[in-house]
Amino acid sequence: MLSVENLSYTYPGGTEAVRGIDFSIEEGEIFGFLGPSGAGKSTTQKVLIRLLRGFRGSITVLGKPLDEWDDSYYEQVGVAFELPNHYQKLTARENLSLFRTLYSRETRDPAELLEMVGLEDDADTRISQFSKGMQMRLNFVRALIHMPDLLFLDEPTTGLDPVNGQKIKDILRQQKAEGRTIFLTTHDMTVADQICDRVAFIVDGEITLIDSPRNLRLQHGRRRVRVEYHHDGTSAPTQQAEFPLDGLGDSDEFLKILRSNRIETIHTQEATLEDIFIQTTGRSLT
Amino acid sequence: MDIQRIAVLIGKDARLGATNFMVVYVLVMPVVLSLLIALVFGDLLAQTPRLGIYDAGASEQFTRPLLDHPSINTTIYDSEEALQSAVERGSEEIGLSLPAGFAASLEDDSAEVDFTVYRWGEAGVRNLLLLESAVARAMTAAIGSSIDQLPVTVNAEQIGSANTQTWSQRLLPLLLIMSIVLGGLFFPAASLLDEKKDRTLVALTSTPTSLLDVYLSKTLMGFILSGIMGSVILLINGAFVGQVALLLLVIALGGLMSSSFGIILGSVSKDMDTFMGIIKGAGILLYAPGILKIFPQVPEWIGRIFPTYYLMNPLLEVSQNGAGIAEIALDIAVLALISVALLLLLSSVIGRQQQKLALET
Repeated sequence: MLSVENLSYTYPGGTEAVRGIDFSIEEGEIFGFLGPSGAGKSTTQKVLIRLLRGFRGSITVLGKPLDEWDDSYYEQVGVAFELPNHYQKLTARENLSLFRTLYSRETRDPAELLEMVGLEDDADTRISQFSKGMQMRLNFVRALIHMPDLLFLDEPTTGLDPVNGQKIKDILRQQKAEGRTIFLTTHDMTVADQICDRVAFIVDGEITLIDSPRNLRLQHGRRRVRVEYHHDGTSAPTQQAEFPLDGLGDSDEFLKILRSNRIETIHTQEATLEDIFIQTTGRSLT
Repeated sequence: MDIQRIAVLIGKDARLGATNFMVVYVLVMPVVLSLLIALVFGDLLAQTPRLGIYDAGASEQFTRPLLDHPSINTTIYDSEEALQSAVERGSEEIGLSLPAGFAASLEDDSAEVDFTVYRWGEAGVRNLLLLESAVARAMTAAIGSSIDQLPVTVNAEQIGSANTQTWSQRLLPLLLIMSIVLGGLFFPAASLLDEKKDRTLVALTSTPTSLLDVYLSKTLMGFILSGIMGSVILLINGAFVGQVALLLLVIALGGLMSSSFGIILGSVSKDMDTFMGIIKGAGILLYAPGILKIFPQVPEWIGRIFPTYYLMNPLLEVSQNGAGIAEIALDIAVLALISVALLLLLSSVIGRQQQKLALET
């Protein structure tokens, strides 16, 4: 679906934002591009959506070199930006209806899209009266209006409350189920962990690691389990104990704790994506 | 370039433009000014021809038909000085100073008819003709035959500044520049600046719509508005005469120049405040030829320094002096050259805007 080889991009001022990165995305995959601000993830996305020209390296999208695509590229590609960009004097429905007419291929009914993200009651409200979260949801569904094969989404859950954030994640899973490929740029590791098939860490214009969140957790986590428990009938504070996962069933001490105490939590100690990011790049995400 | 998408964008721009106060103001203002000027200076509700008479005595037989004339407004003055003063300030367009026994002398074949006529320097030709005709008819009626047979001596005297152009004619160039240039310039600029403010340019160019489509739609909209505005102003001012095809050609070239300039200004301006600052600062350069035309004593060559002269002058030449293509060919050539230069500059501006879009997103 998308293949990038030795991609570099230098801004007119001389700043080299992307330095020889390689990755590929399979059809129907949700690929997370993770990194702190200024790491090069937005530059990479801008190159991939043909906003930035003059890159070095080779990019093939939908079976054709990116250089050879014309504006018909966007018939098959949907883009949602990090910041909302709508006609403030038009309503949500009018915005979607306008963008709908710009595509040649079959498009979705604006009402259906607005309902998907819970904006059906505000369909005829001017965007200038929308909150940032509402505008972000509209940004997101606008990218879906022409049912593209490939989606580029930049921080789609930014500014959303947990309920709406979950709604967006559910829609993304549904899009994947329908066979769409999604390139997701984010610094929200939780979102990436929950919905991405694979993630790439980018720092200082270079990709340091690409793998599935599960593999990364397994590779970089500690194979241990932590138990928090209370001695029954006492007012003593909560106690903790850690045990190796290997041979856990044969650990008498672990079994004794389970049998004779009130267990509050038991968690395996796999790393979070954020932990792995910090561990592998030496950088934080903020 | 996609015609269907450009049409969609024009529809959207027309709708959003109608809610932009500055755009509406710029489009409505020249029309309102035209109507006001026509109202004040007489072309729209042309005032009744005004005749003043000082009768030194016993000429009521001559003055009565003029006082009763339904199409002219006649006033009798007590003294010649009062009559002269009224003509000088334009209250009367023609003043007749009749000597004592004027009416009797008309009836006496042997008497010599001698009187003085004062003419207001700024009186319009139409009213002068009507007044002269009415006076001649009154004299004929008084003597019962043509006044050609009488030894009439008319002492004609012009009072006030002489100007063959009415105020509405003198203000027409300014109105034409305001309507064609501002009408064509403001819409594309304001529309592009609104897109920048809402960050919708990048949203549009992330669809099959190209930046060229967006720019073309706005330039075309400015061009159309400019053409409509120019034609409406010519019509209101009764100047849509002569070779209409030539007028339309000049308006079209002027519209192209203005809308290209407008979209370039919209591109290079950071926001509406910057754009308005440019217009306030440099607007005088656009208006200058129109302002200079108000003062006929200013040498014509000064106007030629300004690009809008080459839009204004051929329109005036065709509509007021009946000029043909040969007389205005040079102006049209200069106007076309300016338009082509602006279009070339525009293509470079679009390239830069594409880069800016990527960097600012």
